[in-house]
Amino acid sequence: MSSQFVYVTYIRTTPEKLFEALTKPEFTRQYWYGISMESAWRVGSEWKMRFSDGRITDTGEVLEYDPPKRLVLKWRNEFRPELKAEGFSRCVMELEPAGDMVKLTVSHSMERDGSKLVEAVSGGWPKVLSSLKSLLETGKALPEGK
Amino acid sequence: MSDRFVYVTYISTTPEKLWQALTDAAFTREYWWGMFLESDWKQGSRWAMKFADGRLNTTGEVLESDPPRRLVLDWHNEYNPELIGDGPSRASFDIEQLGEMVKLTVTHEAQPKLLESVSGGWPKVLASLKSYIETGKPLPNPGNCAAAREQAA
Repeated sequence: MSSQFVYVTYIRTTPEKLFEALTKPEFTRQYWYGISMESAWRVGSEWKMRFSDGRITDTGEVLEYDPPKRLVLKWRNEFRPELKAEGFSRCVMELEPAGDMVKLTVSHSMERDGSKLVEAVSGGWPKVLSSLKSLLETGKALPEGK
Repeated sequence: MSDRFVYVTYISTTPEKLWQALTDAAFTREYWWGMFLESDWKQGSRWAMKFADGRLNTTGEVLESDPPRRLVLDWHNEYNPELIGDGPSRASFDIEQLGEMVKLTVTHEAQPKLLESVSGGWPKVLASLKSYIETGKPLPNPGNCAAAREQAA
């Protein structure tokens, strides 16, 4: 009775830098196609994601905040009515050092079969995390693919 | 074939370079921790993956070959006693150009035990491949990092 997407990647960086890249708007804007993250980043805080024009894409609550190891977000889409109607999903980001790189695991799930939100993020996360890996390793994010 | 693992990554490169990186032994050795692939990559040909010391890792038949867009390989593990003879398995590589980058989709259909093994392996190999193509430097083998940590502990 649930939908889940899991993505693992390995990035040559430190857990501290990666955690910063996942939570600071000046970083997310660079690799997430202009999208910025806003939150006080404390357990129980709200978080928001906005397009570069200011429209809100997703909102939720910080469920766990343990830098630079683990971040858990309650996550609802706000700009596509059919996704917003599904309510809150859960996104877990885990960072694990491995030599001079970091293993990043993103698990995005919802307590509902055939979730359209999980389907949408299954297409989105590989793009965003590929671009993040390029930014941290080369200094340049990927272009927004058509 | 009971189940499948799908992994998508985007790499700043051309389809031709990515095809070469996936099929040319000189390339795979660099990012796949010494592993190399051998085949003429024609449909119906045999292919083999070998460890750096020449031992066989995986063999099979080239089921489809459409460079630089699509490669489908029949896939039989040859070195892990638990996985040898674990039923049919197939890996597909789809390469799609998107402006200045390439979308690579790897789909591996296999029985549960082999599927578990390749589901852990592909993210490591493809992360190292992306680093190698974009920065000229592959990633270390995460398995070895874990072993080094245990030794140090």
